[in-house]
Amino acid sequence: MTHAALPTLDSLKTGQSATVVHLASGAQEGGIDVQRRLMELGFVPGERIRVLKRVMGGPLAVKVGESTFALRRFEAALVSIQAD
Amino acid sequence: MGVMESQVASRTPLVALLGNPNCGKTALFNRLTGARQKVANYAGVTIERKEGSFTSPAGRAFRVLDLPGAYSLNAQTPDEGITRDVVAGLRAGEVPPDAILCVVNATNLRLNLRLVLELRRLGLPMVLALNMVDVAKKRGIEIDTAKLSQELGMPVVETVAIQSGGEKALLAQLDAMPFGVPVTPKPLSAIDEVSVEDTQREVRRILSVAVSSAKDTGNLSEKIDGVVLHPIAGPIILALLMFVIFQAVFSWGDAPIELIEAGMGAFGQMVGSWIGEGMLHSLIVDGIIAGVGSVLVFLPQILILFFFILLLEDVGYLPRAAFLLDRIMGSVGLSGRSFLPLLSSFACAIPGVMAARTIQNPRDRLVTIMIAPLMTCSARLPVYALLIAAFIPDRVVGGFMNLQGIVLFVLYLAGILSAMAVAWFMKRRNGYKQHALMLELPAYHWPHPRGLASGLLERAKIFLMRVGTLILAMMILLWLFSSFPGAPEGATHPPIYYSVAGMIGRALEVVLAPIGFNWQIAIALVPGMAAREVAVGALGTVYALSGGDEVGNTLAPLIAQSWSLATGLSLLAWYVYAPHCLPTLATVARETGSRKYAWIMAGYMFALAYVAAFIVYRVTLAFTGA
Repeated sequence: MTHAALPTLDSLKTGQSATVVHLASGAQEGGIDVQRRLMELGFVPGERIRVLKRVMGGPLAVKVGESTFALRRFEAALVSIQAD
Repeated sequence: MGVMESQVASRTPLVALLGNPNCGKTALFNRLTGARQKVANYAGVTIERKEGSFTSPAGRAFRVLDLPGAYSLNAQTPDEGITRDVVAGLRAGEVPPDAILCVVNATNLRLNLRLVLELRRLGLPMVLALNMVDVAKKRGIEIDTAKLSQELGMPVVETVAIQSGGEKALLAQLDAMPFGVPVTPKPLSAIDEVSVEDTQREVRRILSVAVSSAKDTGNLSEKIDGVVLHPIAGPIILALLMFVIFQAVFSWGDAPIELIEAGMGAFGQMVGSWIGEGMLHSLIVDGIIAGVGSVLVFLPQILILFFFILLLEDVGYLPRAAFLLDRIMGSVGLSGRSFLPLLSSFACAIPGVMAARTIQNPRDRLVTIMIAPLMTCSARLPVYALLIAAFIPDRVVGGFMNLQGIVLFVLYLAGILSAMAVAWFMKRRNGYKQHALMLELPAYHWPHPRGLASGLLERAKIFLMRVGTLILAMMILLWLFSSFPGAPEGATHPPIYYSVAGMIGRALEVVLAPIGFNWQIAIALVPGMAAREVAVGALGTVYALSGGDEVGNTLAPLIAQSWSLATGLSLLAWYVYAPHCLPTLATVARETGSRKYAWIMAGYMFALAYVAAFIVYRVTLAFTGA
């Protein structure tokens, strides 16, 4: 994939916005298709997202559409972004 | 009779309620069916199946099924699997619904509509309920229902589930629908006819046609989260909340507890005066009324605890707590998702173990189940309350804190820390692997007093049912055990010493003496396997029968006199760990599909209990110089 050079969602700081570019097909964690579920929740290419809060060394609260989801850093790392 | 009923039922149209989590689906279910609900389990699994019925204004009868909340038919949890199988007609023993009532949160169509589009591909008759439409209007979200209906190709009605009459439009719509010809859903593969990405594109197109929002929505929730999820303020708020809850459980409960105690005492005297002296008097007054009464007094505390849990759940705080705790949970290999099952376990481990179903990862789920009974459940409160009242002075410390409250807090903390240690040990043995969280933080909203009240009522009912059935039966059995055979001629000990219970207790005492337990405690622990709080009633019976002749004397001062401090604290430590709850072990066996884990649980918890009690007993003895 050519998206390898792009930053990923886990690198965003609190309050920063970005646009989703691509979702890497994460390993099927414990039988869960993380990539597909993220897309079902609204993380699709072209979508605007914003990091609301981060817990140090822990999850991120990300606003996508009208929803807020808590993602672990490795999940956020599947989302390639174009930061503002 | 049964045949006739099932024939009538098969003619009654079945409407399945389906929607994302946090869409107000269950509130709408309650609004539609009121008290006409049947709660059972889906065959073969322990996922709650809620069915109800209602009669429409036109006099038509309907059956309603409240399906578990799901983000997608591409199921990732056991709950979502049930929802998928029921609507696709794949679940044995379930009739495919005649229509799907798709409930969406009107303030978050962007997320909710995707599931609607996916569901539509199954080709079942559908109605869309735009729920929370009042909140959407307040936020300036204008939804053109006619256009939305046209775009989706299904009827769209506005509902406000939390308001009386908020279901009117929906009822009218259901009345207008034909029903009659049974429909077969298309095969599940139909949901993948369009890719997720294209479906999301279609959602955005429909929104651009049918919805306009005047101002940016959800700002208030974001502002609240700015404080509640703050890296420093957030954890402090969480800790304060927990502390306030535990203090409240102890201090607010006092007045109603005294009322119940006085009431039961008076009731016992009244009944006793009718019966006259003798065996029957002993059974009813000492066995049943005293025994059941000693457990009943803890109803206020259990209700206070549940009030806070339900309140925090209702306003939307619980997932925030999971977010804040995810890192700590992650450090022992769990995720924030384990928080809710574990928090529920503070009320009772059984709903906690069952709530573990929402955890996608099977290993996380198993570990959560195994540590859930280490959370201090409300059934431990009667035991803790009795021992704390007997051995910990009621004193103010540091100006505003109650020493008894602090000890209670420490007991809770001991359970939590031990659970984390056990989780860490179990996950380490199985190798670390990080799992997905993907937890929605829904918008905050004001609590709904009606929903809160009915939730509390349900808890009270469950507790009173236990007192009325299981605990009552144990009390009678224990009284029999403790009364027969009677004392021999020239007995030097109280009669119970010679009874069956006394024999078992004396046999167990050999094992329990090194941790400071006397035979009275050993006896109480035997029926105490039925449920933790039974031990309190059992102690009451043991002492009432073995020479506690002063009527009206409560148990606490009695044991405070006859036990050493070391014994009291040792029993407290024992109760932090010991699995004195057969219903929990049975639930674990059912939920994990094997008795193996129930045995492992019982084994490790008894081992921890013995070690902890031994250490506490010896250390206290050393300090008190006995």
